[in-house]
Amino acid sequence: MSHSRVVGAVEIGTSKVAVLLGEIIGDSGLNIIGHSACSSKGIKKGVIADLNVASDCVHAAILTAEKNAQTRIDEVYLAQTGSHIQGGFNVGTTNVSSPDGVIRSIDIDQAKEEAKRRKLPNSRTYIHHIQNPFSLDGRQVENPLSKEARCLQVGYWSVHGDSEIVSDSLRVIRGIDLDVNDMIISSIASGAVILQESEKENGALVIDIGGGTTDYVLYRKGYIVKTGVVPVGGDHITNDLSIGLRVGRKSAEEFKVKNGRAFYNSADRDEKVWLFGDLTIGDREYPLAAITKIIEARVSEIFDIIKEQLIDADLLVPSDIASGIFLTGGTSRLTGIEEAAKRSLGLDACVAEGPQDVVDELRQPEYSTVLGLLHYALTGQEESQSSVKPAGILRRIGSLLNFD
Amino acid sequence: MSLETENLFSQSTAATDLKIKIIGVGGAGTNAVDGLKLDDLGDVRLAAINTDAQALANSPIAEKLLIGRSITRGLGAGGEVEIGKAAAESDRDAIARMIADTDLIILIVGLGGGTGSAAASVIAQVAAKTEALVLAFATLPFSFEGARRKHIAEESIGELRQIVHGLVPLPNDVLLQEGEEDTSVLNAFAVADRWIGRGVNSLCAMLLKTGLINQDFGSLRSVFHDRGGKTIFGTGISIGGDYVKHALDDLFQCPLLHMGDRPAQLDRIIVNVIGGADLGISKVNEIMSDVSKRLSTRGDVVFGAVIDESRHESLEICILGKADMDRVPVAPSKKSTSMISGLGLETEISRENTRSKPVHSSKLRRKKEVEANQDEFTFIDVEAQRGYFDKTDRNEYKGEDLDVPTFMRRGIKVKIK
Repeated sequence: MSHSRVVGAVEIGTSKVAVLLGEIIGDSGLNIIGHSACSSKGIKKGVIADLNVASDCVHAAILTAEKNAQTRIDEVYLAQTGSHIQGGFNVGTTNVSSPDGVIRSIDIDQAKEEAKRRKLPNSRTYIHHIQNPFSLDGRQVENPLSKEARCLQVGYWSVHGDSEIVSDSLRVIRGIDLDVNDMIISSIASGAVILQESEKENGALVIDIGGGTTDYVLYRKGYIVKTGVVPVGGDHITNDLSIGLRVGRKSAEEFKVKNGRAFYNSADRDEKVWLFGDLTIGDREYPLAAITKIIEARVSEIFDIIKEQLIDADLLVPSDIASGIFLTGGTSRLTGIEEAAKRSLGLDACVAEGPQDVVDELRQPEYSTVLGLLHYALTGQEESQSSVKPAGILRRIGSLLNFD
Repeated sequence: MSLETENLFSQSTAATDLKIKIIGVGGAGTNAVDGLKLDDLGDVRLAAINTDAQALANSPIAEKLLIGRSITRGLGAGGEVEIGKAAAESDRDAIARMIADTDLIILIVGLGGGTGSAAASVIAQVAAKTEALVLAFATLPFSFEGARRKHIAEESIGELRQIVHGLVPLPNDVLLQEGEEDTSVLNAFAVADRWIGRGVNSLCAMLLKTGLINQDFGSLRSVFHDRGGKTIFGTGISIGGDYVKHALDDLFQCPLLHMGDRPAQLDRIIVNVIGGADLGISKVNEIMSDVSKRLSTRGDVVFGAVIDESRHESLEICILGKADMDRVPVAPSKKSTSMISGLGLETEISRENTRSKPVHSSKLRRKKEVEANQDEFTFIDVEAQRGYFDKTDRNEYKGEDLDVPTFMRRGIKVKIK
C-alpha cells in the first residue's frame, strides 16, 4: 500500500445506506473525498432482510461515492447494529507471578487473555473487546506495568453479534469485491465523533436513534462501560402514526417530520393539523394531540428501555454521567427529543452537534456513525480501546465466510 | 355513533325459517349477549353458556346452560383454562342439544379468561359436527391486563380459528381508540360490546329483512364456505349531512381494518348497508362503487342493502371479509375488471325501476378478477398502511412486542376526530 489509502466507511442503515470515502495520508491526515447516501431497501430494524435487494442498494451507494471521489476504495470499515448485538462484561484475573510483586507485561497479557477467553456459542461472533481500567488489588490504575500488587485484574466490555447476520453484511461488501477491514458497532462509532475527551472523562451517554434501531453507548471515566441496541427507531414512530391516525405510511412520515413532537402538551388538544394542507380532496384535519400522544408513547418507551438496562447494570449514576445525554441519528431531529430523554432518564440532554471540521452536509446527525467509522480508520482501534486487532478481525471474517 | 342497536330489529322480519342462534360464552360473552337482548327478535334466539351459576342467574337471556357443575360447583373457572376446558368437555351433550337444529351460530366470547377461552373451541367443535355455519366474535384482552391473559387469548384464538367458518378478533387495545376521549376501562368493555352488536345486527338484518338488495343465507355461506382462514370486520356509521360520504369515511377509518395482522388480500367480501327510506338506489350504487374500488378481492363481493323505515338520513355499512388459509397467491389475470359500480347493478335496477321489488343478489355478483397491479393488498392505498413490520420477527422485550404501537399497548387513547 502506498503512502495514502482510501477508506470507505459504510453504514447499512434501516432508512439509508451511507458511504463516506476518506483518504488517509500517513498516520494522521484524513480528507473526506467523497460521500453518498441512498434509501435503504431490504433492511428492517437494522438487519438485512433481503440480501439481494440490500446488496444492490449498498453497491449502488458505494459506486456512487467512488464516482464522486473519482477513486477506488482500498478497504471498508463497516457499522453493525440490530437487536442481535449483545454485550457483556468479563473480568480477567491473574496473580502476579514475580516474587517481588512487580507487574511485568506477561502478567498483563495473561489477565487480558483471561478476560477474553470466554467462548461464545458457534452462532455468535465477537465484534469488540473494549478494555476497561486495570485494577491492582482493587485499586484502579491506567497502566499497571512495573507497579506492585498481588492480584491484577482487567475488565472488558465485550460485544458480540449473531454470526449469520454479521456475515450477511460482510457478504454484501464482499459482493462488490471489497475487503472489510473492521466492523464497529454504530453506537461506538457515533460516540467517537460526537464526544470530546473531556466529556468521555466526565461520563456521557450517547443515544443514536436511527430509522430502525436505537444504539447507545455509555462512557464512564473515559471508558466504554456499556453499549446496547434497542430495535426501535423512527420507522416505529411512523408506523405507530400510520396505524393510529389510519393514514398511509407516507402521510404518517410527513406528519412526523412536519408536526411531530416527542412529548405531548395539553395545548395540543385544541390545535389541528392538515393531512396535506393543500385543499385537495381527501385532505382532512387531525388534532395535534393525536400525533404528539402517539409519538410521546413511543419515544418515552425507547428511553425507558435504555433506562431499565442501565439500572439493571447498576450504571445509571448521574454523577458518573455528568456530561449528560448526547442525542444523534436521524430521529434526533424530532422536535423536543432532548426534553423527552431528560424526562425519562433524569439526565441533562442535548442534540449533539456534528464535528466542526467537516462540511455542513456531513454535520447532520444521520452521518455521525459513518464519520465515526472514518475516525476509527484513522486512529485505529487500539488507541480507542476497542482492542480487536486488524489481524484478528480478518481471521474472524475469514472463518465466517469460509475462505482463507 | 348514537345509533344503537335497539331499533334494528324493531321491524317485523321477513318470513323465513332460517334459524339463528347467538351464544354468549363465558362472562364477557354473556354480558355482550345481554346487551343484545331486545324485543321482537323474530327468529334470532339468544343463549348463554357459562361456568358461573350466579352470573348466569343474573342474565336476562332465556336460554342458559351451566357447564361443568360437577367440576366448578357452579363457581366459575377462576381464569383457569384447564378448568374451563374440563367444564365444557363434561357437558358436550348439553351443548350439542343447545345448538341442534340451527343454521347459523354466532359465538360471542371474551378471550383471556378461563371459561370463554376454553369453552368456545369445545362449542365450536360440537357445532362443527352439525350443518350449521359458525361465526365467532372474540374480544382480546387489553395489553395492560397482563401477559398471561394475552397468551391465553392468543392460544385460544389460534385454536378457534381452525374450527369456525369465520372468526372476528376484536382487540380491546384497538377498540379503545374509538369512542370518547375519557373512556374508562369499564366503558371500554362496553365499547367492545357495541362493536359486536353492530356486527351481529347487520348480519341478522341482512339475512332476515327484505331490502333493496336481498342477501340470503346462501350468500353468507358462500363467503364463509370453508373453516379456518382470517376474517376481517369493519363498520361505518353516519347520520345527517353528507351521510353517504361520512359513513364511507367512517368505515375506512374503522380501526379494525387497520390492524397489523390483517390478511394481505381477501378472498371474498360481504358488504351490507342499512339505511332509511331515503336511501335510494343511486346512493347504494355510490357506496358499492366506492367500496369495491377500495377493497380488492380475489373472489366475490357480495352486496346487500336493507331499508329500515325508522331511520332517516342515516346509514350503516358493515363489511365482513374472508381470507382463506395458506392460499397460494395465484397469478392475477389481466382480464379487464368491471367494477360493480354502474354495470350490472344499475342496469338491473333501472330496468326494474322500483325498489319495492328486490333484486336477487346472485344477479349482482360478479366474479372479480384481481388487477395485476393490486395483487398484493386488500386496500389499494394500503401499500403503506399494512403493518410495516408484519413480516419481520416479533420484537420481543419483556413479554411485549415492541413493533406493536406503544400507545396501543399502554392503552393510551388517541382521538383523531
